[in-house]
Amino acid sequence: MAKKAGHEHSAGYEQAKLFEKGAAERGFTWVGKGIPNRESEMKAAGEIQYIDDLRMPGMLHAKMLLSPHAHARIKSIDASKAEALPGVRAVAHYFNTPHIIYNSAARFYLDTSVFDMPKTEYIFDDTVRFVGDRVAAVAADDAAIAAAAVRLIEVEYELLPAVTTLEAAVEATSPQANPHGVDGTNVCGGRLAYGNADEAEVLAAINGADRVFTDTFRTSRVHHGYMEPVCHIAHYTRNGKLTVWTSSQNVFCFRDVLSTALDLPQSRIRVIKTVCGGAFGGKLEIMHEPVVAVLSMRTFRPVKLRLDRRETFSSSRSRHEGILTITSGVRKDGKLIGQHLRSSLNTGAYAGSGPNTVGAQSGKMFILYQAEKMFYSGASYYSNTPSAGAMRGYGCPQIMVTRETHTDRMARELGIDPVDFRLMNVVQPHQKNCMGNDMHNALVAECIRKGVAEFGWKERRAAALATQGGRLRRGVGMDVAVHGNGWYPVYQDLTTVTIRLNNDGSATLLTGTHDLGTGSRTILAQIAAEILTIPPLEIEVIEADTDVTPLDLGAQASRTTYIGGNATILAATELRDQLLAEAALILEVPAGRLEPEKGWVVDRENPDKRVSFTDVIGSAQSGKHGSQRELIATRTFESEDSVDSYVAVFCEVEVDTETGVVRPLNLMSVHNSGKVINPLLFEGQVHGGMHMGLGYALSEQMVTDPETGKLTNPNLKNYRMFKAADMPQIRILTVEDPESAGPFGAKSIGECATDGIAGAVVNATSHALGGVQLDRIPLTPEFILSKLKKS
Amino acid sequence: MEEQVQMVNFTVNGVPASVRAERGWTLLHVLREVLGLMGTKYGCGTNDCGACKVLVDGKPRNSCTIPIKNVDACSIVTIEGLQEGGKLNILQRSFVECGAIQCGFCTPGMIISATALLAANPAPTETEIREAFSNNLCRCTGYVKIVEAVKLAAVRMAEVRNGAAALAGKEAQTGKEASRG
Repeated sequence: MAKKAGHEHSAGYEQAKLFEKGAAERGFTWVGKGIPNRESEMKAAGEIQYIDDLRMPGMLHAKMLLSPHAHARIKSIDASKAEALPGVRAVAHYFNTPHIIYNSAARFYLDTSVFDMPKTEYIFDDTVRFVGDRVAAVAADDAAIAAAAVRLIEVEYELLPAVTTLEAAVEATSPQANPHGVDGTNVCGGRLAYGNADEAEVLAAINGADRVFTDTFRTSRVHHGYMEPVCHIAHYTRNGKLTVWTSSQNVFCFRDVLSTALDLPQSRIRVIKTVCGGAFGGKLEIMHEPVVAVLSMRTFRPVKLRLDRRETFSSSRSRHEGILTITSGVRKDGKLIGQHLRSSLNTGAYAGSGPNTVGAQSGKMFILYQAEKMFYSGASYYSNTPSAGAMRGYGCPQIMVTRETHTDRMARELGIDPVDFRLMNVVQPHQKNCMGNDMHNALVAECIRKGVAEFGWKERRAAALATQGGRLRRGVGMDVAVHGNGWYPVYQDLTTVTIRLNNDGSATLLTGTHDLGTGSRTILAQIAAEILTIPPLEIEVIEADTDVTPLDLGAQASRTTYIGGNATILAATELRDQLLAEAALILEVPAGRLEPEKGWVVDRENPDKRVSFTDVIGSAQSGKHGSQRELIATRTFESEDSVDSYVAVFCEVEVDTETGVVRPLNLMSVHNSGKVINPLLFEGQVHGGMHMGLGYALSEQMVTDPETGKLTNPNLKNYRMFKAADMPQIRILTVEDPESAGPFGAKSIGECATDGIAGAVVNATSHALGGVQLDRIPLTPEFILSKLKKS
Repeated sequence: MEEQVQMVNFTVNGVPASVRAERGWTLLHVLREVLGLMGTKYGCGTNDCGACKVLVDGKPRNSCTIPIKNVDACSIVTIEGLQEGGKLNILQRSFVECGAIQCGFCTPGMIISATALLAANPAPTETEIREAFSNNLCRCTGYVKIVEAVKLAAVRMAEVRNGAAALAGKEAQTGKEASRG
């Protein structure tokens, strides 16, 4: 996407950057410290309240009737028996609820998206489009009554032809899974196709190269696997106010969608993020909140809906499964000349974030490798399968595993070490990429070099070769990956932070950003503490409540630390300036000579001359030196730099050639994420990203029966996430050279932590099997055995 | 209907409980909905994730699949029962300090499994720690810092035991000297 032209940074921003530089030179007090997540004591005690632990007077319990069919029109619904059941308070379905179309993944209230984000969803529709789609919902005095009532609802369906695989969905002649498909097909929102030249020109460049390689890779649909099942509470009161509590990543967008779907003014809607038991993108898009809202609007009572695990699998969101074809033209010496990638993603029954995920994926095409000509072409497709949506990586894991396995194949066939091949082709710091964008401090090559040395790449590769003849064969592989820091320049990207000084010199920080267990509240407090010299635990952080906190655009796009951290710096430096200005009047010393020091404002030239924060705050409120005022600062940060985080991943696996089981032995990530604000939380992000990536590579997939469209493994027994004993030995290294645009030099980690794992695992497995090309994930034992038979 | 109701008597965190069990009630349901102990979590309902783990007569069990009548006369310990004198115990503190807690939803179950492990095996190997979590899932941490936390707790608990033993030895010694005198 094109960059905004010639945007000037604000004066405050430049000042803040100068301040950060000074702080780094003096040495940090709080930044760089591994402080545990501030909620962890309460979590360890079992005392923190997640949404499912909340109890409200008069609260009703909801249960949904979910579609047993992949595609059917609802001819009639008879809810009379359910309504007659004692304890049932409301039943909602297509025939008694508003029909206002919306997109559950909407990013902006005004439709400013550069990608077409079709509105395809209703609270209840007259048609169900996947097994698990909403048919009706009941609110009752307890969960057992609600469940019993749901079973009494009689629905007459007219079955429609269903599209249950991605392969079928891409066929132009297939039936439509959703009527919003473009031109009678299942294309969702249109194809995105662009590069640094015409497609034909790029293909000509590729075909003119010494060697041309084409690979097609298939990635599966996976689930976030957050441990906290989906849960929402809504309470509509007679004064016309709707309050929604939800374990969400995106309260302001939820308010947008609720106001659209329910036709309520936003002042009448309050969305409150609750303590989040894991999200990973899966709680970014509104799910069943509109349903609990309607049930509460009927009863004026709080209504809770908690999905069970089976429903959480079928009726939440998942990662887009994909089929991606990549073609590269390379010189004999391994120099990449041109690259073309065509991606097809399965968005499921509704548009959601399909086109947006394609858009995010496209951006990754151009910021990892340098080639003269590059082109990306992608689309998402409707199918009668569970909804895809945002998931950690957001289109990136699919393109990374495709390109990185392809890269290894090219290196192998050209007889070049995969490390050397990548070093020859990856982007370099402060270069322009093929699209003409500045690559900022892109230290991917340094990550590779550091990893090669620390992993013992050459030695391990050589040692693995020695196992080739045996039953247990070792393989060593690596890859690289990239992720952004927020949305700029694709979308506007802003957040606002307010910090106020309390009367005793402690502070309260209000932010619309969301802590998903990632520790973002801890990190923002550390950043503010560094500037205000107030210890982090004396800075309360209030998060994500649409009636209380300033605007934020959601915990997504690896933007929380980068965008939220920068906003915190702006607000904290302004508050510091206010504090120093007032202190200057009290001490009769120029403000430039003053600095805060643990609750005191001190004259640098005469350290005995000092005044406490409490006295400065009291003085400001008393109006002794002008008008009476509160020391409070509110600042909006707008992102103006497109910076990226890089990683090189190294992996060693052992393949049992009799059982087909691939066991990861060693996994190492070398991250270029700029300055690490909190190493403890940073490592936690990487560990979790590795876990998710290992499952993606080796064991996780949501399997749908192509006949019925039904999930065959909607439980945690058969949807196989890695357990503690399955994990390899793990190491994390960093290349911490600060990124000037980041807060105190920091860049993102959340998504970059998982993007490159699968490619490294697949490459290591290929290596173990003597270079067999593996063209799908997960690498199940059956798949490995089938490959062994063929070779 | 009358025959479906049965009184079940057990203790939870040392406190006697008496519950009129209704059909279909699990231990998890009773803990959360009847006794109001919300620290034990519903994660899957199918015995697969360990978020609902509690100690039943000292053994880690998933409460989501245990019919309430099966715990008659049993001693149940939940996450709420682990703190000592109103403070986090050594294991809980280790989880905090090691950064083993992110979203925290699996944490109560993890701490319960680790409690049972350390009671049976005060100096577990890394493999034994990992095996102790064979029925606990975590999506945030990759288990790395959870395993570190258990190792740290084992060391600290040994220090406390050794300290107590040394103290007891010293007292015994002092006693001897006193009697000699």
